[in-house]
Amino acid sequence: MSTELNAPAARVTTPSGDWYPDAIDLAAVKAAHIPLYTQRTEITSDGNQAAAVAGLQMWRCLIYAGFPITPSTKWAEFSAATINGQKGSRKRVKLMEAEHAVADYMAAASAACRDLIFTTATSSVGLDHMYETIKSMGASGLGNAMLVNVYRCSANYPLCIEGDPSDTLGQRDCGWIQISCRGKQQIYDTVLQMPCVGMHPDVLTPTMPGFYGIKDSHRNARLICEPDSAIHEFQDRWIKPCPLPGLINGDTAMGNCVTSRYFQGFKVTQKRRFEKTLDVLPQVGADFERTFGRPGVSYFELAGWPESGAVDLAVVSMGPDFGTFEELRQEYAKTHGLKVAGMCIRLLSPFPREAVREKLRHARAVLVVNQAHHQTRGHLALDVADALCNLPSPPTIASTFCGMGGADVSEATWEAMLDSGRRALAGQTLPPYQIFHEGAAL
Amino acid sequence: MNPLDLRSILRESVLEIRGDGKAGGGLVLAFQSLASLALTDPSLNVQEWPFFSSARRGANIRSYVRISARPIRIACEVTRPKLVLLMDEGAARTADFAQGVPAGGTFVLNTRHTPEVCAKHYGLSGRVVTISGDEIGLKHLKAQIGNVSAYVAMAHAIGGFTPGTVIDTFLSALKKRRIPETVLQRNREALEASLTEVKEGVFDEAKPGTHLVPPFAGYGDLPVGAQTALRLSQDNLTAYYARSGLRLHFSDPEDKCTGCGHCITNCPEGIIHWEPNDKNGLKVTGSDVTDYCKLCAECISVCPENLFSEIPFNVAWKEAEVSS
Repeated sequence: MSTELNAPAARVTTPSGDWYPDAIDLAAVKAAHIPLYTQRTEITSDGNQAAAVAGLQMWRCLIYAGFPITPSTKWAEFSAATINGQKGSRKRVKLMEAEHAVADYMAAASAACRDLIFTTATSSVGLDHMYETIKSMGASGLGNAMLVNVYRCSANYPLCIEGDPSDTLGQRDCGWIQISCRGKQQIYDTVLQMPCVGMHPDVLTPTMPGFYGIKDSHRNARLICEPDSAIHEFQDRWIKPCPLPGLINGDTAMGNCVTSRYFQGFKVTQKRRFEKTLDVLPQVGADFERTFGRPGVSYFELAGWPESGAVDLAVVSMGPDFGTFEELRQEYAKTHGLKVAGMCIRLLSPFPREAVREKLRHARAVLVVNQAHHQTRGHLALDVADALCNLPSPPTIASTFCGMGGADVSEATWEAMLDSGRRALAGQTLPPYQIFHEGAAL
Repeated sequence: MNPLDLRSILRESVLEIRGDGKAGGGLVLAFQSLASLALTDPSLNVQEWPFFSSARRGANIRSYVRISARPIRIACEVTRPKLVLLMDEGAARTADFAQGVPAGGTFVLNTRHTPEVCAKHYGLSGRVVTISGDEIGLKHLKAQIGNVSAYVAMAHAIGGFTPGTVIDTFLSALKKRRIPETVLQRNREALEASLTEVKEGVFDEAKPGTHLVPPFAGYGDLPVGAQTALRLSQDNLTAYYARSGLRLHFSDPEDKCTGCGHCITNCPEGIIHWEPNDKNGLKVTGSDVTDYCKLCAECISVCPENLFSEIPFNVAWKEAEVSS
């Protein structure tokens, strides 16, 4: 890459450190990109491949650091195989000795080259091993770092390789924008959009798109891939030269020991940038829909909401199992003479509490479906309760757990959970939470 | 017994398919290829995904496919499939491959036996399609791999695909995996041979109350951290991980065992039998392959007299009893 690295002649001193704006010739990087697709192309893909393809189509992605861990391994395998198959490609997959090294590499690289995108994929304890570094990255304004989290339960004993979002939900405070996907197309589309959100000058926060291991990472279906040139045009509309210097000092969390006075101010700006996601993300999503004709990133997906917003039972869930609920929703509502609607949460962090409150305020009862082990009533249930707490007469919340460890969430399980929601509607006092499997309350 | 029309099902609702096999046996590739085959029809939507149990070669695994002319939203496991595949008869020792299939469903088996014999043995009511995939694999691919033929048999069972599309789709899946051209050619031969080897018949051999989906009975009392009772393979017999159709054999008619003990110390399962011997200290007398021999071949590789070997195990159905 030596031809693209010029001598750092232009040095600009800023309060945040020295800046070398001409150090990387972005035009040369873009010119070196070899397109994967020159026209809209339909392929068969699983979730890992969909995420990898999207990353490979971005001209700003040059180096992919990775370490294999089930169920995200195929992301690295596919990326490496594709790059090796592209004659003359300047892209590289860098396999590191462990996940903490991947995170360290990404921190250094994304801080040094803020106009390029650095991405990896990991799961479960892989994400845990990155914990220390990704918390620092979350604070450091590194919106050009993107970690694809293929959900898998966060436990080494007993080992379980299936999809359970406890790994991502255990990292709610790492300072990354976390967005959940379901289905190949949504995974692909989301990976394309998230750098536009994270690298927005008002946001500058790393992004963590995620999807369920096995249930989505290994599930094959039809995928529409856009031409690289259209993707570049879309991303270039949003991604502008980063206003911060490319050094790991000054206004970052790495390297400096500061007083509490500075630290608190630093955290205030981090929190403000993080919350700005709620403004920028819908704009990026709307532009994506205008450009490619498919829904863009959003706070949540909706199923069966009437114009008035008034429903008897609102179901709040996430991930691919929401599709099973969608499949049986109408029949269940008809059988029981109820208006039943669903909300599939996508933006996990920052949680879109205002929008959730507005949507749920006219529901009589809310059934929250948690799919990861968590103390008390579950991550989603607590978020929903927080969103609804200021309403004059908030709907009753029924909290349920299912699908832990990636367990199957059958139609019978959904019906049993919906029955629990009906009991809440009827005014029955339910336990703080219930766990369901195969149609039974455990 | 009227067999269900699978083409009508996928047009009007969702055709759900399930496969049982063993890790490393090619079940996932067969199902991925079937999904790709269905997607050659632009009017069809497809979902395909695997379910792994123990992360080890030889362990039981499952694969699922849904095919429909409508968008597919449902995401749960397939429990009442209209078409099932038994890729490896060894997998039927611990899983009922026919569980939940309605009367008139289609059963595809990779087996040397005829459809009639299979229907009687497993108690099947519906359309039974068989193919001797392992033999075709051995002939053309030089390995006992039945997934090429199993894929062809499933495509045949669904119907409506031209032979050329069936062959090209499978070969495209292999090309994606960067398989060398010579191996591709062998696979083409195996695919072509499979097209003419499919046998089928309609039978009504299921006894009332068999192959039912049992209700969830709870997890029961588990000690802290207990795993064994929740595994797919409930009895944890490592012999179930052995490759089907083969068995370890010990033979020493010329009394060549030197008593070196290498086989005893290297066997991870402790199944080598021996007795004290005045001349050499000990003498190996055989091995208990019933429950714990997984054919790791350690004994074969360390024996200086080559007294251990793998032999074909022809009584296939002694190792393939239906758990239900």
